[in-house]
Amino acid sequence: MYAPFKFAKTVVERFVPCALLLWTTFAHAINLMGSELQLHGFLTQGLVTTSDNNFLGQSNKKASTDFREIGLNASLRPTSDLQLSAGLLSHKAGGTDNGEVRLDYGLVDWTVSSNEQGRSGIRLGRVKNSYGLYNKTRDVAFTRPSVLLPQSIYFERTRNLTVAGDGVEFYLDRNYEAGNLFVTFALGKPQLGSEASKVALVGLVPNGRFEPKVAQISQVMYEGDGGKYRLGYTVLRFDTPYKPGVKDVLQAGQLKSMVQIFSAQYNAENWSLTSEYALRPISSRNFGPNSPDATTRGQSYYIQGSYRLAPKWEAILRYDVLYTDRDDRDGQAYAAATRRPGFTRFSKDWTAGVRFDLTPELMLRAEYHRIDGTAYLPVQDNPDPRALERRWDMFMLLGSFRF
Amino acid sequence: MKNLLSINTFALFWRVCSLYILGAFLVTTNSYADNQEPTIVVIAFPSTSENTISRSSLRAIFGMRLNKWPADTPVKVFVMKDDTPEHGAFSKNILQVFPHQLRLAWDRQVFSGQGQYPEQVVSLQEMLSKIASTPGAIGYIKTSEVTNNVRTLQIR
Repeated sequence: MYAPFKFAKTVVERFVPCALLLWTTFAHAINLMGSELQLHGFLTQGLVTTSDNNFLGQSNKKASTDFREIGLNASLRPTSDLQLSAGLLSHKAGGTDNGEVRLDYGLVDWTVSSNEQGRSGIRLGRVKNSYGLYNKTRDVAFTRPSVLLPQSIYFERTRNLTVAGDGVEFYLDRNYEAGNLFVTFALGKPQLGSEASKVALVGLVPNGRFEPKVAQISQVMYEGDGGKYRLGYTVLRFDTPYKPGVKDVLQAGQLKSMVQIFSAQYNAENWSLTSEYALRPISSRNFGPNSPDATTRGQSYYIQGSYRLAPKWEAILRYDVLYTDRDDRDGQAYAAATRRPGFTRFSKDWTAGVRFDLTPELMLRAEYHRIDGTAYLPVQDNPDPRALERRWDMFMLLGSFRF
Repeated sequence: MKNLLSINTFALFWRVCSLYILGAFLVTTNSYADNQEPTIVVIAFPSTSENTISRSSLRAIFGMRLNKWPADTPVKVFVMKDDTPEHGAFSKNILQVFPHQLRLAWDRQVFSGQGQYPEQVVSLQEMLSKIASTPGAIGYIKTSEVTNNVRTLQIR
């Protein structure tokens, strides 16, 4: 089972970077029996250092390089109505992801009907979720607005819940003179079986695991005037049963949630303004005496402005807020009940950064974060809550190459 | 003394102001260096069934979301490099989409397995020869370079 993964990992880690460098001299499209096979990929390396706490590796007063994203994808269009695509991803992110190569997506996209007014179709297989503005290509640095996506909505911690689903996505596009409407509805099993997903949802101590069960994701996105403004609404519903481990502190309970995201973006020629707001109620039931039934209503939002200083330079400023429980924003009730610090229940992150596109294939970024609260920190990198500091700073550097 | 101070402040204000204007001018000329934008027309394979096309269809085609002509033949999209004046003028004036927005739309589709990139040509000559020889081809060119080997599409 693991041997092919190990091999693939070796290939990706050793061979692919060399191949990438050579690749630019060759074409990316190969004619395969009359249809075009396109091959693309990227290699991103980040450097993270923090004044306190750990994020994306051991970053506390040190420089962590445990933030790496390597992707390789292929697509083939045998007819104008059919596309076959697959993408492999190695995502190394501190203690939450070891960089094991996995199938990021693998799908058959069949456009059932298509004309000037729009198209409709179906994607079958492992499909990236239409979740907010950025999830579909969240691991591709070139498509992100910053080194780190706003953690209030695009958690590193619980990425497996939202990254992709194994199932089906129906899509419907409408083209109007004034703009385009994109609607998707997906039924898919999230990749929840892993240890990292369990830790993100219930912590380090319980030793069971979650059973992936079909989640529903619907999105409506309207792009006005050739994408000058974009307005979106996403709903994710999931209900996942927990399978306790041996002598587990938790019983066979269930987590249920309905996440709603409102997205808005305005794009001018040299600047963009983006904001997303999310409501994340999550209820736990039947976990037994150690975890009484409860509903915590999470709330998240960010507002972000970016400005193109020159054709190759972009600056970004963002304020990103996350409350684990909006009925207990400062975490005082939580602190009183658990004797854990209240500031682990919120994070308010001011971010300023610059992007420099050396060439269309090579990008460099630098980013500074000033954060109040530790809610988005993964417990794997910070196992002792008493060692956490409420106010911390983070500096990030990133280089990304693509072809 | 008070008078002197106010004069100094005034002079300083104008110095800062003129520097600012100069700076703004430099930035503006830098980002709009190609103000001599070429006039662009949309061109297609000569035996294409269409003579006119709507802007919303063009946006869908160049956004890689419409892959067939009304007559059911596959569309083959050709573009020039993002930083060429032709691509800039085509995106902004014909599609009315900023080139970096178009690039982002392609990236989002390619890196999630939902679309493919258009084919990039390196010169006007290559654009003309590809459009003239590829069934279903669509692209664009400077009005002054149009030949009889390609069909010009009017925007309706």
